[in-house]
Amino acid sequence: MSSDIQQKPYFPERILVACSQCTLGDLCLPRSLDAAGVEQFEHIVNKSRPIQPGEHIFRAGDKFQSIAAVRAGCFKSYVIDKNGEEQVLGFYLPGEIIGFDAIHEKVHKANVVALDTSSVCGLSFESVTEMARQLPQLQDELFRVMSLHIAELEASAADLSAEERIASLLCSLSKRFASRGYSAKEFNLSMSRRDIASNLRLATETISRVLARFQSAGIIRVNRKKVAILEPEKLKELARRDTC
Amino acid sequence: MSITSSFPSELITKYGLAGPRYTSYPTALQFHEGFDAEAYRRHVRYSNDDLIPRPLSLYVHLPFCRELCYYCACNKKVTQNTQLAELYLEFLDKEIEMQGKLFDSDRQVIQLHFGGGTPTYYNDMQLRHIVERLSANFLLSRSASREFSIEIDPRTVDEGRLAHLAEIGFNRVSMGIQDFDPAVQKAVNRIQDEGKTLRLIEAARESGFNSVSVDLIYGLPLQTAKSFEKTIDSVLTVRPNRLSVYNYAHLPHLFRAQRMINTEEVPAPEVRLQLLASTITKLTGAGYVYIGMDHFALPDDELSIAMQNGTLQRNFQGYSTCRETDLVGMGVSAIGKVGNSFVQNLKDIRDWQAAIENGELPVWRGLSLSGEDRLRRGVISAIMCQGFVRFADFEQNYDIDFNDHFALELKSLKPIEEDGLVKLSEGSIEVTPTGLLLLRAIAMKFDEYLVNDPQGKSYSKVI
Repeated sequence: MSSDIQQKPYFPERILVACSQCTLGDLCLPRSLDAAGVEQFEHIVNKSRPIQPGEHIFRAGDKFQSIAAVRAGCFKSYVIDKNGEEQVLGFYLPGEIIGFDAIHEKVHKANVVALDTSSVCGLSFESVTEMARQLPQLQDELFRVMSLHIAELEASAADLSAEERIASLLCSLSKRFASRGYSAKEFNLSMSRRDIASNLRLATETISRVLARFQSAGIIRVNRKKVAILEPEKLKELARRDTC
Repeated sequence: MSITSSFPSELITKYGLAGPRYTSYPTALQFHEGFDAEAYRRHVRYSNDDLIPRPLSLYVHLPFCRELCYYCACNKKVTQNTQLAELYLEFLDKEIEMQGKLFDSDRQVIQLHFGGGTPTYYNDMQLRHIVERLSANFLLSRSASREFSIEIDPRTVDEGRLAHLAEIGFNRVSMGIQDFDPAVQKAVNRIQDEGKTLRLIEAARESGFNSVSVDLIYGLPLQTAKSFEKTIDSVLTVRPNRLSVYNYAHLPHLFRAQRMINTEEVPAPEVRLQLLASTITKLTGAGYVYIGMDHFALPDDELSIAMQNGTLQRNFQGYSTCRETDLVGMGVSAIGKVGNSFVQNLKDIRDWQAAIENGELPVWRGLSLSGEDRLRRGVISAIMCQGFVRFADFEQNYDIDFNDHFALELKSLKPIEEDGLVKLSEGSIEVTPTGLLLLRAIAMKFDEYLVNDPQGKSYSKVI
């Protein structure tokens, strides 16, 4: 498969990115570095041009060179199963890192596509590992982020009901939006109900049915793709997991 | 209701300028051909992506008529050649299939309307066939609260046909009466027997239709307040659940059929005013609730209840009580409303068929609403349906200061307030009972597109 990355370089030039000025400074990889470390880190970051909804930053099978930190917007990662069906693996919000699954085989396993107008900071993985050898705080941060990924995946592998899965996704998103300075109680989702269904391994109509049930119970209010959480405590109870 | 106690003839004359009916905002005049089939598909996709997609309404346009009614401004085809109508159904089948594929299969159809033309131009088997095709391609609701309605020309049905329509799933009928006066019927080329029509309304009830609606028209040639009162008295003997009393807009330069009408026989403005006044007096006197625009309903009808609860909606058929739906229009010239867009099919039957023949959606034109359009649509809908605009509702959703954003509009409402049509306050606009008669004139103040057509020449008269 031809790769978008080869045709259109997303991480084309090394403009000096000011991580020290970035609003995601508290969430992103350099967050534990001191001023000198951040300055050093800034030299290995490539900032991309705006990425339009529907554009891919990685394709399954692409040679692994870089990981990407979401700067703005939202991405989904997915694979195509042997029946040709799309299986959504996850969603990425600003400050989150995409591409760790490619480390061990040096090949990207998933397709990663923008759901909104987005942008990412590209990080050559070689440079990151090299810098991590010199800066143990960066290494710790890399382990922490990877561990968080694994924990999320393990939690979602549990045998949960549809209600629990959906409540838990809403809790997780609410928490993630809040830590990015957005409202924890009201947010616009970039993903379609089909994406959510695929990600939670539920039928598309189940998503709407369960959300409608939550809505009539007064727990949430839904308007098109906007969700307002009216009863966060009740939602947490429904989610029955501690990621909330 | 107090609107009848002192009929505001002067105000109606004063505001009796032309204006849109706001069955949609922006109105169809703003639709453009840049909005094509691809744009329509995109909006449908967005609507399927909603977390809880809206339920669906289906509108099926069946344009054929046996005879020409001279007042008609609809898109119709008058022909005795039933083969044309038969051929039309073959293409309609294909359009139903194409449209059905676009929408996620779990989206329930809670509202269905067959309009025309004359839907009952088709025989029982053909109408059954259309319903079956719809059912095969869409998820039709089985709930008793679904609203499946059909427009009926009483000249084309009998008791047996009504029973059949009920059997294939319709639970509402809307009967075209217009006027019972034989002289008026002759002048508009629509001769229909009064006794038979009234018997059919009774028969519809017996067949299980839970709502019967009747259409009348005032302003037709040779009508007088007295003659029209007789028609209304006669209709009241069968107490339809709803009445729509439309104003005839004589625009022979726009509608060819209307050139058959002798302009000199069309009632003068002061007679129209009497017609309107006596209609409202009679109907409200008989216990009907005036809903707004041309619509009246019995107090226990859902429309009246929705009006009280503030849950009324405006749609292309007038008013409705359904929660917000996405509307799929099928058939020649049919209009749809999906998400934040309007779409209209090709209006010429041959063009419409040619597109379908090529496997294309027969989209003619449409419109994708801007944020400003959506805001104004909300305000106009609040005026037309609730008679009340609470600024705070819009300030939160659209991130505006209402008084600031609509400073000019609010200023232009001042003279309207002095005339007693609205009450303005710091945080709201309230339509008065008098204003209820002139909803369009109030709504027009919020229509951004009237700036280019201040006289509203292309619209029918407000009353």
